Amino acid sequence: MNRTVVLVGALIVTPLIVVLALSFGKDPRAIDSPLIGKAAPTFTLRDLDGDVVALEELRGQPVVLNFWATWCQPCVVEHPLLIASANRYEGQVRFVGVIYQDEPQDIRRFVSQRGSWGPSLIDTDGDVAIAYGVYGAPETYFISSDGVIAEKVVGAIRPDVMASILGPLL
Amino acid sequence: MKPIHVALLLLLTASIVVSSLDAREDLGVDSATSMGQPNGTPLEGFELEQRTEELSSLMRCPVCQGLSIADSPTLLAQAMKSEVRQFLAAGYTEAQIFDYFEQSYGEFVRLEPKAEGFNLVVWIAPVAALLLGLALIVHRLRSSKKETTPIGEATPVDDLDSYRQRVKQEVGS
Repeated sequence: MNRTVVLVGALIVTPLIVVLALSFGKDPRAIDSPLIGKAAPTFTLRDLDGDVVALEELRGQPVVLNFWATWCQPCVVEHPLLIASANRYEGQVRFVGVIYQDEPQDIRRFVSQRGSWGPSLIDTDGDVAIAYGVYGAPETYFISSDGVIAEKVVGAIRPDVMASILGPLL
Repeated sequence: MKPIHVALLLLLTASIVVSSLDAREDLGVDSATSMGQPNGTPLEGFELEQRTEELSSLMRCPVCQGLSIADSPTLLAQAMKSEVRQFLAAGYTEAQIFDYFEQSYGEFVRLEPKAEGFNLVVWIAPVAALLLGLALIVHRLRSSKKETTPIGEATPVDDLDSYRQRVKQEVGS
């Protein structure tokens, strides 16, 4: 075979193999958040009762910030776990929900039927979701007691994942 | 109604409107902390709409397949575009706005990656591949020219003798 052809073929194929090799073992749906290890964007929102909640006021305890909606099936699936976790870590961790592309009356109906694990805040313009780099619901952000984002979980969270992330934050 | 009552009513209405506006401004994300003071001139009217479209067409919709937030009909893209408009109206520059969205979504939010660092590969590779292809074509053309018999040069008669013999045999003459 012509040496030139082999050389050119190697030049084209080698970078492709390197890129593929580096990507093996990674979850193709997982998107790293650039906010991990950085200060959590601060916000002030109203909850379903009209009370104002500011993230800054929650400093001093770890915060589990969950973006959710009633139309999102994984959110419905993880709802009992969030209730159980909020009970388990009561007084140690603050659980706060942000309504993602949903109507407050639907959230009210949902929590009246299935219970609540914390305040659900109304993000009318969606700017809090954007500031946190939310792609869809549910997404859960674990914020340390000094206001730094320690971890982000996409999709319905599992009990073991919840415990393993919250453990070091307590 | 006495003028004093009208004046009091107007004052009350104005205070309610102002307080409701204040409450609206206080709610939401504290973007000023991460963006700092606006470095540009506040835009309005046609210029604001035009720049909003320009910037939105350069920003990737996070939940779409290769669509900009200008082209995407999703709620998230519309919310992002609305924020772009608000930032431009407040006087934030293109660089400040892109930095803000990059803080939450990373460089992924740029439809055109910045021409720096490893990203340069994306800009240089197509040109390099084109030049390499041209060089190969030129090389092949030159080498095939050397191997080809020059036009006008007669084919040696001896090469055809074997064929003539075979034709004669098969025809049987």
